[in-house]
Amino acid sequence: MTAVKLIAREEWRMLARNRSGLIATGLLVLLILVAGFTSLESRSAIEADRTRYQASVDETFDAQPDRHPHRMVHYGQFLFRPIAPLAFFDAGVNSFTGNTIFLEGHRQNSANFAEARQSSLLLRFGQLTPAFILQTLAPLLLIFLAFASVAREKERATLKLLLAQGIGGRSLIAGKMLGHGAIALAVGLPAFALLLGFAATGAADWATVGVMIIAYACWLLLWAFASVIISALVARPRDALAILMGLWMITIILLPRALPEAASAQNQLATKIETEIALHRDLLKIGDSHDPDDPYFNDFRDEVLDRYGVRTVEELPVQYAGLVAIEGERLTTQIYADAAQRQAAREREQNAFVHTFSVLSPLIAIRQLSMTLAGSDPAAHQDFLDQSEAFRYEFVQRLNRMQAELLPEIGGEDPRISAAYWQEVPRFSYSPFNPLADRTRIIWPLLVLAGWLAALCVLALFAARRIGGVAR
Amino acid sequence: MTNIFTAPAIAIDGLHHSYGANPVLRGLDLTVQRGEIYALLGGNGAGKSTTLSALLGFLRPCSGSVRVCGTDPVADARAARSQMAYVPENVSLYEHLTARENIGYFLALAKAERGGDAIEAALSAVGLTQAAKDKRLSGFSKGMRQKVAIALALARDVPVLLLDEPTSGLDPRAVLEFNRLLDAAREREVAVLMVTHDLVSAVDIADRIGFLSEGKIEEEQTASTAGPRFDLNALHDRYTLVAGAPA
Ligand SMILES: Nc1ncnc2c1ncn2[C@@H]1O[C@H](COP(=O)(O)OP(=O)(O)O)[C@@H](O)[C@H]1O
Ligand SMILES: [Mg+2]
Repeated sequence: MTAVKLIAREEWRMLARNRSGLIATGLLVLLILVAGFTSLESRSAIEADRTRYQASVDETFDAQPDRHPHRMVHYGQFLFRPIAPLAFFDAGVNSFTGNTIFLEGHRQNSANFAEARQSSLLLRFGQLTPAFILQTLAPLLLIFLAFASVAREKERATLKLLLAQGIGGRSLIAGKMLGHGAIALAVGLPAFALLLGFAATGAADWATVGVMIIAYACWLLLWAFASVIISALVARPRDALAILMGLWMITIILLPRALPEAASAQNQLATKIETEIALHRDLLKIGDSHDPDDPYFNDFRDEVLDRYGVRTVEELPVQYAGLVAIEGERLTTQIYADAAQRQAAREREQNAFVHTFSVLSPLIAIRQLSMTLAGSDPAAHQDFLDQSEAFRYEFVQRLNRMQAELLPEIGGEDPRISAAYWQEVPRFSYSPFNPLADRTRIIWPLLVLAGWLAALCVLALFAARRIGGVAR
Repeated sequence: MTNIFTAPAIAIDGLHHSYGANPVLRGLDLTVQRGEIYALLGGNGAGKSTTLSALLGFLRPCSGSVRVCGTDPVADARAARSQMAYVPENVSLYEHLTARENIGYFLALAKAERGGDAIEAALSAVGLTQAAKDKRLSGFSKGMRQKVAIALALARDVPVLLLDEPTSGLDPRAVLEFNRLLDAAREREVAVLMVTHDLVSAVDIADRIGFLSEGKIEEEQTASTAGPRFDLNALHDRYTLVAGAPA
C-alpha cells in the first residue's frame, strides 16, 4: 500500500476510535435523512393539497352560470405551481414566494401570496432540508473531524517520527486529504442516495441529479481539504480550530447575508420608487376610453370604423366596448411588461454583483447552484409568474373577444353568454421549468467551486513543502 | 558520491548550525563506522539532539557536510532516512493504537513491512509483556513507550541507529536488556549513535565516547581492548566538568 493510502487509512482508524467524532458524524447523517424524509413528506402533503384545490377551482369555474363575459374577467382564480420534485432537497426561495397566486382579470403581476397555512408549513419544515444541512452544518462537522489532522502530529511530535520513516510532506498532506475527503463524501452519501433515488424513479432527471451531486461533493471536499491544509499550516490544533471557525462564520454566516444587503443597498432602493412613478405616469398616458375627446381612443375608433368600412360605432358587427377592452388590455399589459423587464434587468445586475462575490464565499455558489438545480430558485419562480401572466392575458383577451363578437347577436338589456363557452376559455397549465436550459447559471457556480478546489490544492503543495522541508 | 558500502555510516564534517543568532554547533566533526557504537555525551543544551536532527535532514546546516551512508540527508532525505532508524528524545507514538499497531503502521510507512512475526520478536526483545503488546499506548508508562520506540527502531533493520536518550525512563533491568540489544545490533554491523546521560551504561556498551561542548567534540575516548574498557571515574569527572560548563 502506498504511504498516501496508509495515512488515509490510519486517519479513519483514529476517527473510528474517537467516540465523539463517531457520534457527531452519525447525528449529522441521521439529520440529513430526517430532513430528507420530512421535507419529502411535507412536499407531498403540499402537492396533495394543491391537486385538491386545483380540482375544486376548476370545478367552480366550470360551474359558472350564463354571464356577461366581463363579469368573468373579474372572476378571481387561484393558479398553482406544482412544486419541483427536487425542491424537497432544497426549498430555495419557495418558502418566501409560495407557490400559489391569486389572479384577477385586470391585475397584472398579481401579488402572489404564500397561503398562510402552506407557508408556515414550508417555513417550519422547508428550512430543515438536506441542502441546508449540507451547506451549513456539514462543514462544521468536517472542521471538527479534520482540524487536528496534521497539527496534532506536530504538537505531539509524531510528525518527526513520521518524517524519519521517509514520509514526504506531500504524501502526508495527500494522505490526510484523501482520508478526510473520503469522509466528506461519506457524509454526503445519504443525501446523494436520496437524489439518485429520485433520478431512478424518474421524478428527476439524471443530468440534474448528477450535477447536484458533483456540486455538493465539491463543496464538502472543499471544507475537508481546507481543514487539513489549515491544520498543516499552523503549529497547534487549537489554532487551526480558531482559524477554521472564523472561516466558517465569515463564509457561511456573514458574507451570504451581508452581500445581498450590500447589493440591494447599491442599486435598488432609489430605483424602485422611480419604477413605480414611471409606471403610473405611463398608465396615465394611455388615456380614457370613456372620454369622447381622448385623442388616442378617438384615433383608435376611427381606425376601427375604417377597418370595418362603416361610419358609426353602432353599425359595427362587433361590440365596440369589447374592442376597447381588448385594446386597453393590450396597452396596460405592455406597460406592465416593460416595467417588469426593467425590474428584471435590475435584479440581474444585483445577482451579478452577488455572483461576483461568490468567489469570496463559495457558499453563495453552492446555494445558487443547488436551488437552481432543485427548481426552487427565483428564476424558476419568475418563470411561473411569466407563465401565469401570459395565461392571464390570454384569458382576459379571449373573454374580451367573446364580448366583442358574441354580444351583438345576443343584445338586450342584460346580455349573457352561455355557460358552455366557459369550457373554451383557456385553463392554466404549468409547464415545468428546465433548470439546465440556461447553462451559465450552472457553469459559473461550478467554476467557482472548482476554482476553490484548485486554489486549495496549490495551497496544499505549499503546506506540504513547509512540513516536509527542513525544519525552521 | 562516495560508495554506499565504503562510506562511513555517519560522517559529519565541520558542521555549523545556529538557531537564529544562537550558534549551537560550531565545527562539529564526528564519524561512526558500521558495527560501532558511539555514545555522545554533553550538558543540557549542548547540541546533541541538534546533531541527530542534522543527520535526519530536519535542518539545513549553515556550513559543513553531513552524510549518512554517503547520502546527504538534506539533498535526498528519503534515501538517507531509508538507512536510519530514530528513537526521539521525547517518545511520541499514537496513543489510540496498540504497541503492535504502532509498529506495524510506522514500518509500513517506511516500506519495511516485516510481517507479524518480526514485530512480535521486536516487542519481545525489548521486554514488553505479552499483554502489553496489544494494549493501547494511552495506558503505557514512559518506560513502556520507550520500549515500543526502541522496538520500532530495531524492527526497521537498517544500517544506522540514532538514539536520543533511549534509556531514560527504563528501569535498570531494562537498561541491561537494551544494552544486549545494542550488542546484537553491533554484531549485525549496525552503526549506532546514542545520545545519553547514562555514563555507566555508555561505559558498558560504547566503543567510543565523545563529549560535546561548545559545539564541538571536546574529547573522545576509545574503549581499550585489554582490561576495563573505560576508566569510569576519569570519565565521570570529565563529564561533570563538561556538563557543568555553560553551553
Ligand atoms: N527548534 C529550535 N529553535 C531554536 N532553538 C533551539 C531549537 N532546538 C534547540 N534549540 C536550542 O539549541 C540548543 C541545543 O539544543 P539541543 O540540541 O536540543 O540540546 P541537547 O544537547 O540538550 O539535546 C539549546 O540552547 C536549545 O535551546
Ligand atoms: Mg536533547
